[in-house]
Amino acid sequence: MKTNLSYNNAFSVLEKLVAQMESDEIQVDELAEKVKQANELISFCEKKLRTVEKEVKKAIGD
Amino acid sequence: MPTLMRLSELVNEIQDTIESRFEGAAYWINVEITDVKKYADKKWCFLKFIEKEGLSITTEIKGVFWGGTFHHIEKFERQTGQLFSNGLQISCLVRVRFHKRYGLTLEVLEIDLAYALGKLAIEREAVLNRLQKENPEQIQLIDGRFVTFNNLLPLPIVMQRIALITAPASDGQRDFLQELEKNRYGYAFDVREYLVQIQGDQSSGLIREQLQLILTEKVVFDVVIIVRGGGSQTDFKPFDDYELSKDVACFPIPILTGIGHDRNTSIVDLMARANKTPTKAAATVIDHNLSFEQELLSLTDRFFKGVNEILDQKSLALRTLKTDFTIALSLYFKNRKHELDAITRLVKNLSPAMLLTKGFAIVMQQDMIITDPSKIEKQTAIKTILKSTIIHSNVTEKTPYENQPEL
Repeated sequence: MKTNLSYNNAFSVLEKLVAQMESDEIQVDELAEKVKQANELISFCEKKLRTVEKEVKKAIGD
Repeated sequence: MPTLMRLSELVNEIQDTIESRFEGAAYWINVEITDVKKYADKKWCFLKFIEKEGLSITTEIKGVFWGGTFHHIEKFERQTGQLFSNGLQISCLVRVRFHKRYGLTLEVLEIDLAYALGKLAIEREAVLNRLQKENPEQIQLIDGRFVTFNNLLPLPIVMQRIALITAPASDGQRDFLQELEKNRYGYAFDVREYLVQIQGDQSSGLIREQLQLILTEKVVFDVVIIVRGGGSQTDFKPFDDYELSKDVACFPIPILTGIGHDRNTSIVDLMARANKTPTKAAATVIDHNLSFEQELLSLTDRFFKGVNEILDQKSLALRTLKTDFTIALSLYFKNRKHELDAITRLVKNLSPAMLLTKGFAIVMQQDMIITDPSKIEKQTAIKTILKSTIIHSNVTEKTPYENQPEL
């Protein structure tokens, strides 16, 4: 059975980033890169939650 | 020549006989119904009562509900979730009526709901037992709950791709889609509809077909949702069907139901993840996605808190370093200045001008300072410079002097 791979992936990568950030593993010069990565993951998920190819509106209009 | 009667005379006699025999009597009968014709606007219902032996009908008589008793049918349907229609076995109270045009009928006064409900309950129990017995791996009763292969399947973290099984142009369809569309978080959904007439004998088979169809689709669904609106005139028997329930319990995609029924949950509800109504089923989906978003935001929060902490730490470290450096530098200069001051004082104290003020003298001969006394000859002029006086004199004698610097 397939699950939502992209949500799962994005979420678990983000979890790893948070773990790194909270454990002080990150050096200051890596910070900008990690922030960029996190922002990309977050906005990917947020956007995907609100976009699909076919909207429900169409279904109601049938 | 036999006496000729008019038809009406004969029929009146028949009527009198029947009425006198059955006047004021009512009987409870256990009977199968068929040829049911309802006229909801007039509140009439015509039907046939039959009795069978094996497959053949041995006894048959017309039945009728008039305006005053029609509500029993409506109540029956509402309370049992079953359509009052052909093939049903009921227990009802009737009285015998003969009409000279319409003949003999049994007028229904009341339907035994308890009997109907009891019968339904027994049938349900039988189906549930059979489901467990014949599918022990996939269907189990644990602590009063049915645990099945399907309702154990983990739900995807976000549910967006939905296969909706519903009746076309129905309340269930409309309620579900509207609730989904007007969600206040702006979530989007991709809903594919699988339309089925959920009424009558064939419907459980039709729903099973749609389930199979969904499995063959190329597109991957997060969840399958089966909805059925409530209200009167609705038939929930299909959802107690053995084969459909088994298919649902064993289905490899999580199934959510939104089968609106006042009274009880259907067997299909028990095999899947149930919601009381189509609207609630939609709400479940929305809440599920909301949970995900909340977790996402919580992670985001933690992430940026972490970032800020690191920045604060580094900033603090930097400031501390700067302060330490400034202090060290300041101390360094202070020390060097002390040294410089000491040397300056030393040099100042050793200057000829200082020596003079202390009472020492400088001896000069011919405008040159004498440091080597052997250079001074007797009978020569020397100048002795004191603090504010120069003494001009002549050398009369030179005698050795032992200087003891340790004193």
